[in-house]
Amino acid sequence: MFEKILIANRGEIALRVLRACKELGIATVAVHSTADEDAMHVRLADESVCIGPPPAKDSYLNIPALLAACEITGADAVHPGYGFLSENARFAEILADHNVHFIGPRPEHIRLMGDKIAAKREAKRLGIPTVPGSDGGVGSDAEARRMAREIGFPVIAKAAAGGGGRGMKVIRTEADLASALTVARAEAKAAFGDDTLYLEKYLERPRHVEIQVLGDGKGRAIHLGERDCSLQRRHQKVWEEGPSPALNTAERDTIGDTVAKAMREIKYLGVGTVEFLYDDGAFYFIEMNTRIQVEHPVTEMITDIDLVLEQIQVAAGNDLPFAQSNVKFNGHAIECRINAENAVSFRPSPGKIVHYHPPGGLGVRVDSAVYHGYAIPPFYDSLVGKLIVHGKTRGECLMRLRRALDEFVVDGIETTLPLFRALVEEKDIIDGDYHIHWLEEFLAQRSEASDSV
Amino acid sequence: MARKPGSSPMPKSPTIDHEVIRELARLLDETGLTEIAIEQDGVAVRVARHSGANASRARAAELPVAIPGVAAATAPLDPAQHPGVVASPMVGTAYRSPEPGAKPYVDVGSPVKAGETLLIIEAMKTMNQISAPRSGTVIQILIEDGHPVEYGEPLMIIE
Repeated sequence: MFEKILIANRGEIALRVLRACKELGIATVAVHSTADEDAMHVRLADESVCIGPPPAKDSYLNIPALLAACEITGADAVHPGYGFLSENARFAEILADHNVHFIGPRPEHIRLMGDKIAAKREAKRLGIPTVPGSDGGVGSDAEARRMAREIGFPVIAKAAAGGGGRGMKVIRTEADLASALTVARAEAKAAFGDDTLYLEKYLERPRHVEIQVLGDGKGRAIHLGERDCSLQRRHQKVWEEGPSPALNTAERDTIGDTVAKAMREIKYLGVGTVEFLYDDGAFYFIEMNTRIQVEHPVTEMITDIDLVLEQIQVAAGNDLPFAQSNVKFNGHAIECRINAENAVSFRPSPGKIVHYHPPGGLGVRVDSAVYHGYAIPPFYDSLVGKLIVHGKTRGECLMRLRRALDEFVVDGIETTLPLFRALVEEKDIIDGDYHIHWLEEFLAQRSEASDSV
Repeated sequence: MARKPGSSPMPKSPTIDHEVIRELARLLDETGLTEIAIEQDGVAVRVARHSGANASRARAAELPVAIPGVAAATAPLDPAQHPGVVASPMVGTAYRSPEPGAKPYVDVGSPVKAGETLLIIEAMKTMNQISAPRSGTVIQILIEDGHPVEYGEPLMIIE
């Protein structure tokens, strides 16, 4: 087992990792920028090293500084958290060159899943369902028509050189195809200098459903169920829950087993999440994240498995301590990501928390690094903390969430707590009847309503 | 750098020993000197009396005074706030000499020119020369030879 882990991250996840290290009896090193000198995990760690000024590129992304910090503290492993260098294969390789363990997957898998086209190809090879589409660009209209028929309308034409949600055109019927492609090509040429298009099946209102996996790198891997992360704003998850209100046990077992089998085949090491769009009973692979994720507590609450602890165990070379049959799902969990932002405009609100009272009680968990008097620095993400609630049923979970949200006090800065208080009263949320566009539609309607007042 | 008890030896944050300063101030009154400075364990303390009428007078000679039983103390207060502080630009291990056994680059009292090497910080077998940002005199050396330093750590004070 590792003697000393250097936590190459900040905020709530750094504290989360520190907690797992302490429970394993492993010494901890907290590295931090000058802006994070007063961070909670820095105070609690056995040792701390200031590695640079506030900008991430000079501190949390500063590989030489991180290596030097490993050297002077004698850390034998680094936990990268999420974001920052957690999916940087080169960082993992450099650490290995310096005889420091990277707590995460092997660099080859980080690289593989980091390349979205290669990941999709590999997922297909492993029998994971992917979004049907043209494998390359579409040439003539006749070719496009043939492909679109195969895929099934509606389809979406995407600019091969596009990205960031741009250069996409939905085509609903065959009659629209020819003219839509002409326009799409012209737009792609104008915007990206390349009129190559490819086609994919268009999913109208899918849900985002992801499967948590854990592997020991020796051919053993299990799935730990799903999380429904459909409620997003600008592609950022806001509310996550498990199990998904949309899946039944059979669907869960089928997709879970497919994914676990794939992980066993590639001998995946560590934790990971395979993300899908789920539409009308079918799953479509979008990508795999090879790190611990922000919303991991949802899975922990329903399986009673400490994912960070298990991550450290397998990284240290231990066998997976349980089989799929040992994994049990109990009850329901919901996580709300609370940001230091205005709940309507989402304008960031960094500053000092002058009054802080987190909720407590049975089934209430707050993963946060803030404390009474803490000043949220303006240089990093605006996450104040995560409120995670568990109940025996989804209904009980929602009641508990409502109660916990009412109790939560964060004064001195603006937070998105009011948004969650509003969401728990919405019929669609209570019914679990939502999809990946739901939240933005809700926010748009709400702002229209307030404009017309 | 913050270390808790039980971990490997590291320089602790210096604590202010007010007794030393009081003692020196008392000595100033008794002897009629305007300034007393001591150095102990690589840390220097200086207490001076300033009054408007005496501003133009030449400074009294510095008199090294050994106060028995006094523990090492910092001066004047937080070195990181001193305008002449040279802070570490990187993480690594500090060495005061170009190689083991050689003379240190500078000592307390050394005059330095801007750009002159003050010390080396080593990280991953690369030696990085840390140069004086301005000309002046080294009045305090805050790091110990061969000890780790972090980003922003006060290394020396140049006046």
